[in-house]
Amino acid sequence: MSWSRAGISALFLLFIFVLQEAAISKVNLPIGGFSLYLAVLLGLMALEDRSGAIVLGFIGGLILDLSPSVESPVGKWAFVLTIIGYIFSTNRESIGDFTQRPVAFVFFTALGSVLTLLAFLFIGLLLGENNGSVWHNFATVFGNGIWTLIFSPILLPLLVKWRALTLTSRERQ
Amino acid sequence: MAAGGNNRSRLLLVILLVTSLFLITLDLRGVSLTKGSRNATQSVLAPIQRGFSDFFSPVGNFFSDIKNFGKTKSEVKDLKAENAKLKTQLVINADIQGQLAKLKGVLNLAGRGGFKVVAARVIGRGSASTFSQTITIDAGSSDGVSKDMTVMSDVGLVGVVKAVSSSSAIVLLMSDPTFRIGVRIAGSQSVGVLQGEGSSHYNLQLLDAAGTINHHDVILSLGSDNNHPFVPGIPIGYVSSVDHKNASLTQTATVTGYSDLNGLGVVSVILQAPAGDPKDSLVPKPTPTATIYVTSSAKPDTATVNSTLKPSPLPTSTLKKATK
Repeated sequence: MSWSRAGISALFLLFIFVLQEAAISKVNLPIGGFSLYLAVLLGLMALEDRSGAIVLGFIGGLILDLSPSVESPVGKWAFVLTIIGYIFSTNRESIGDFTQRPVAFVFFTALGSVLTLLAFLFIGLLLGENNGSVWHNFATVFGNGIWTLIFSPILLPLLVKWRALTLTSRERQ
Repeated sequence: MAAGGNNRSRLLLVILLVTSLFLITLDLRGVSLTKGSRNATQSVLAPIQRGFSDFFSPVGNFFSDIKNFGKTKSEVKDLKAENAKLKTQLVINADIQGQLAKLKGVLNLAGRGGFKVVAARVIGRGSASTFSQTITIDAGSSDGVSKDMTVMSDVGLVGVVKAVSSSSAIVLLMSDPTFRIGVRIAGSQSVGVLQGEGSSHYNLQLLDAAGTINHHDVILSLGSDNNHPFVPGIPIGYVSSVDHKNASLTQTATVTGYSDLNGLGVVSVILQAPAGDPKDSLVPKPTPTATIYVTSSAKPDTATVNSTLKPSPLPTSTLKKATK
């Protein structure tokens, strides 16, 4: 992953983050709600190589840590998403090129969204945070997974096209 | 080559994880840099959220409205009647009318308690992925709002101010699992601790082993030192079920909140509380519920109508119809 593409990806994620905080979170979707930001970030991470996924996870996590509605300490999302980036990239290598396998791409992203939220809760437990009722957490995690599964088929092709635009000539080869 | 690449990515992983842990440690130690970054984000996001708020307010509750629509036929019937009224109001501008009504209710409750308040519009909600339940309001430090101030709606407590920028503030809702408040039961004066459960129901635990909780008891805020973060006497909710566990030392109960935290439009931040405790003066007055029974008789075109009035624990009135 080149420096320029890391910068462009960070700006793109920042835009999605503003969209999520200002608009998407205003829509009261049933069962938990949808995190467009997580879906986009995981989709981008799935398309990167190992180092790229880790760096994107860290940058994406840092941006999410800036959210004023987050109660957890700064750095927690960065920690969780860096780990998820590593897990994503190692498993992705065994699956192959996602652009050729759209169904696997959609399921992988939805599953990643569930895993990310579960990891966030788990790290919260380790840090001694109160995560609230199990049922509420289950609804949030499950709901997010379902909505990601529903919206990903629309979202991911756009992400693949956007990423292709940001590739340098050397990366295309 | 591949092994070299793997080693590089593992080294990168370790460096980034250590950086994350470093940031977490800084934040937990209360370094202002990390807190300041969130306040800066809030300052940037607030005007954008305000813009989106006007655009998204008609569609925000679209999905929840669909979910609740058609639960029962009688509800649909009532809703249709209500809808006809609302359509008339919409011509004038239903949104502004509703906000004015809420503002009137908020100021009415604040006035009864003798609180000095600043009214604010809800312009944003906490993200679905953050697990914390917050709202963003369009009043900030320039309006006199500061951290740890009590926020209330037209019927009762909403939450507490968590962070403030010049033109907006983040309010931690009382439904958040981290939210805890000292409360007392109106009338019996038993004190306890109320905790958010992530929904409109709250867990109440009495501190007094001899105290008792009864069904429909009204719960009020106990108040804090210098009225921060909580002023005393704010209605919170009523006891909807009492847990009867012989093993526990003190009694626990489930409380249903008065404020509908999902439908907040206008709230007020209490800037200053009166010198004295308002005691039970803010306890919602029981509104009589009219129950009308219509009994048909053997004679055609005749029916007997019996009506009864019962006090309701809720601050709203309802009309039930039973036809035989």
